[in-house]
Amino acid sequence: MLISWVLVSLLLFSLGIYGVLTRRSAVGLLISVELMLNAAALNLVVFNRFLFASRMDGQILTIFVIALAAAEVLIGMAILVMLFRRKKSVDVTQLSQLKH
Amino acid sequence: MNLSLELMAPEIIVLATGFLILISDLFQKSKNENKASSILAIVGIMLAACSGLFLTDAPKETLGGRFGLDQLDLILKEILLLSAGLVIMISPAAMKEKSEQKITHFSEFFTVILFTLSGMMFLVSSRDLVTLYVSLELATIPLFALTAWTKTDKSGEAGVKYLIMGAIGSAFLLYGLGFIYSITGDLGLKAIQTTLTASQLTNPSLYLAGALILAGVGFKLTLFPFHMWAPDAYQGAPTPITAFLSVASKGTGLILAIQLLLKVMGFLLQPFVFGIAILATLTMTLGNLVAVRQNNLKRFMAYSSISQAGYLLMGFMTTKPEGLTAMVFYMLVYALTNLAAFGVLIVHIHQTGQEDITSLRGISKANPLLALSLMIALFGLAGIPPLAGFVGKFFLFSIAAQVGYYWLVAVAALNSTVSLYYYLRLVRQMYIEPENPQSQKLQISPMSILGLGIATVGSVVAGLIPYIYDGILATSSQWLQVWLKI
Repeated sequence: MLISWVLVSLLLFSLGIYGVLTRRSAVGLLISVELMLNAAALNLVVFNRFLFASRMDGQILTIFVIALAAAEVLIGMAILVMLFRRKKSVDVTQLSQLKH
Repeated sequence: MNLSLELMAPEIIVLATGFLILISDLFQKSKNENKASSILAIVGIMLAACSGLFLTDAPKETLGGRFGLDQLDLILKEILLLSAGLVIMISPAAMKEKSEQKITHFSEFFTVILFTLSGMMFLVSSRDLVTLYVSLELATIPLFALTAWTKTDKSGEAGVKYLIMGAIGSAFLLYGLGFIYSITGDLGLKAIQTTLTASQLTNPSLYLAGALILAGVGFKLTLFPFHMWAPDAYQGAPTPITAFLSVASKGTGLILAIQLLLKVMGFLLQPFVFGIAILATLTMTLGNLVAVRQNNLKRFMAYSSISQAGYLLMGFMTTKPEGLTAMVFYMLVYALTNLAAFGVLIVHIHQTGQEDITSLRGISKANPLLALSLMIALFGLAGIPPLAGFVGKFFLFSIAAQVGYYWLVAVAALNSTVSLYYYLRLVRQMYIEPENPQSQKLQISPMSILGLGIATVGSVVAGLIPYIYDGILATSSQWLQVWLKI
């Protein structure tokens, strides 16, 4: 059972990386990063549940991770709203002012 | 549970000052009046630094062993406080009208800087993975907001890029921490270290965890394959934040590396010394070669700081006290020297509105002292004796020689020579090129002069006072005895 759950979390993490590499919308990028963070959190819960069920350490860390991921997305959305007001788009391929 | 909150005094003072500035802002008439809040912030940081001096000699713990304090932690905290204080001193120069990167809402700006500073200080003292991860995010998330502070296209773009890359970095780190947890079943750093040492490298997922954690640390420390965000974030961010990113954020990366790679997995480092040497070589070479081609001052400083991270990494090649000492000492020297350079660059960029290297042309005529201070800082970064930068680099290079990596010393020395070439490009613009007809006398406030003076004098004398290095050496040998039993 443990191995299949670890595989699920690995799949989520890889999907997140794939999304980061291919998405053009900045919101999509944020969602992909969320996916990676949640995969890591799932990892912790799974290890806690199957390997060390007597203590709750991993699940406690997971609660903190969820809160922090929300804070991260909050700042991200604030920056994106600011950019959208100026550019009318959140397409990351148009974010190319900073070069050399 | 024994709750001794006085161990947290510096952090609590920093946080309280942050909130105080936020509240005092309500009673200010003009939103762009920054005198009161900057003085308040500096007083708060000085109080925190003083309170740190009164804290313990022996290592102590509180909050059920989740928050610890020893001498090395205090030294790191004082370095962080010093660099944040200097940034706050030199940042009001960025209020001038000329540049599009003008900073507004100074009270909130200082508050957010103080919050991220408190996160960095909690990170130093964290003794379990929950505290470590939470304080790391407290140190990182406000920096995203600071990067996008000026609400221009460039600043916003830098903010988005930094945010995405920073979040990916912390996801990698967390995934790695998950595997560490799967091996040990405990979140306390001490317990993890004990279990890992007992298991003696039998577990392949330990290597996976090590690699993932190295990636997470690499994002913060701008090591070679993970440095992509740095030039963009540095160029787009408001100049004081560029200074803060290059010093304090890099310091956070170093502290994270000390906490996780040295403290928890230190016994594992021995077989991977060659890998560290390769990583250091790639990082410093890439930073130096690309910096040669840069024309934007802030982007130039970004690549220069990437190459400095490469030098810094050489300290991880040994678990002897000298390695740790060399890294902490170099961090102090680098903070002083880099902030001296940025002190001048902030004044220049925000009063002329130009960020090109050629815009420095002939400024030594109208502003001899500013040019002199920038020249000293650049020579310090290049490592010219007798400046502190040379002493710091010498200790780092000697680590590589001690473990028998003479080719790395040669590569690093060669890199220093390359870096001297591009630092001299700036000096040439300032001193040798004919004066720009539009060049003007730059205005500089007393507060900035003080900050710039401290940083410049510090970057000259820090290498000449033997007490500093010896103090750090004594502390770190003690620290290594406690943590690694060496």
